[in-house]
Amino acid sequence: MSELDLAALDRDGALEEARDGLSRAGFLGTLAATGTGALLALADDAGAAPLRRSDVEVLNYALSLEYLQAAFYTEAERSKALSKRAAEAARVVGAVERAHVKAFSSLLGRKAIARPRFDFQGVTEDSGDFIKTAVAFEDLAVAAYKGQAAKLKSGAVLASAIGIHTVEARHAAWMRYLTGVQPAASAFDEPQTRAEINQVVKATGFVSSAPRTSARRSPRYTG
Amino acid sequence: MVATADPRARASMDEAPIRNRSSRAELLRGGACAAGLALAGVTAVGLPGVVGAAPSPAQDERVLNLLLMVEYAEVGFYEAALRGGTLSGELESFAEIVAEHERAHLAVVREALGSAAEPEPRHDFAAATGDPDAFADAAGRLEDLAVAAYNGQAANVTPKAFAAAARIVSVEARHAAWIRSIGDRPPAPDATDQPKSAAEVREGLRKLGLQL
Repeated sequence: MSELDLAALDRDGALEEARDGLSRAGFLGTLAATGTGALLALADDAGAAPLRRSDVEVLNYALSLEYLQAAFYTEAERSKALSKRAAEAARVVGAVERAHVKAFSSLLGRKAIARPRFDFQGVTEDSGDFIKTAVAFEDLAVAAYKGQAAKLKSGAVLASAIGIHTVEARHAAWMRYLTGVQPAASAFDEPQTRAEINQVVKATGFVSSAPRTSARRSPRYTG
Repeated sequence: MVATADPRARASMDEAPIRNRSSRAELLRGGACAAGLALAGVTAVGLPGVVGAAPSPAQDERVLNLLLMVEYAEVGFYEAALRGGTLSGELESFAEIVAEHERAHLAVVREALGSAAEPEPRHDFAAATGDPDAFADAAGRLEDLAVAAYNGQAANVTPKAFAAAARIVSVEARHAAWIRSIGDRPPAPDATDQPKSAAEVREGLRKLGLQL
């Protein structure tokens, strides 16, 4: 089995450019920053035992990644252009990612960031492109959760997030298996920082617009 | 099994039904239920050991010794399966690769414990590795158990131990999805992986053949 990495998705060299540090401000970073101001203003509104600001920030970051994944799988499922195996994976994983979106949105309540718009540039309409992109997203999600989890102050929230983190790892292995790549490439999964994750996401060009407001609104793809 | 200086802390890790620390946990659960998926349990079943004992170096020692037992079991299991010689093809290459990963995990956990590491228990994986079907079934249960064991302790440890364990747990989850894929079983059946308490983990390891 050969190793697969994001370079496979790097159609116009944007990814390499990002890796070289030419593009520092990732979209997700902008997203999180946009949300933060409103979150602080709303913090007092929450009921008993409000989430800490730092936890809200981490959770909104997780929500932004879940939005991305939910939209991706939902669009793939709706495209009706995938092979049977790929379509089945899109259906099952899409439902789970939408559940993650709902879970984080509910947890955050009015503090939840809005869903951005996405443009997956056709990769949801080709089984091969779909699976390669899914592998990249899932490996990225594993690294992102791992990088953020330790920052959570609430033990209950941490314990919940870590159970989602391992489901992302299962998805990563599943998608890798489907495309013939070793599901567990090494003995250890390394965390990645937000800056690293943001660069990669930005380079894909899949996030096409920032949410217009940070107020709560219903994400389009939540079942 | 675990040599502990504080029986009360031990009891809280093993048996305490965990109360949600935060109403947020219930909200999280509620949101998932609305989606009709099994995100419950993370908070409904509880977070094993969250209650009572705040993270401390002493508690890290107890937790890491539990995880050491998981890794002893995994290494012993895969090595027994490979020695048995009944595996071939995809299952054999899975066992070879995963055995190597588990040896690396064992080394990391043991190193983190230093002289506090408990010795390897005896084991008997004959039944679990007797034929390819038994192996595939047991491997799936063992990897799922490993994920639940690590997840169950995530909130109980200091940042240092957490960082070490976090690099391992997602690889256990990959192994679980991998062996499930080979057997054409759902690789990721739930929206979240539910944690298990230390007592549940020890019981699961005993059932698989680790003599605790």
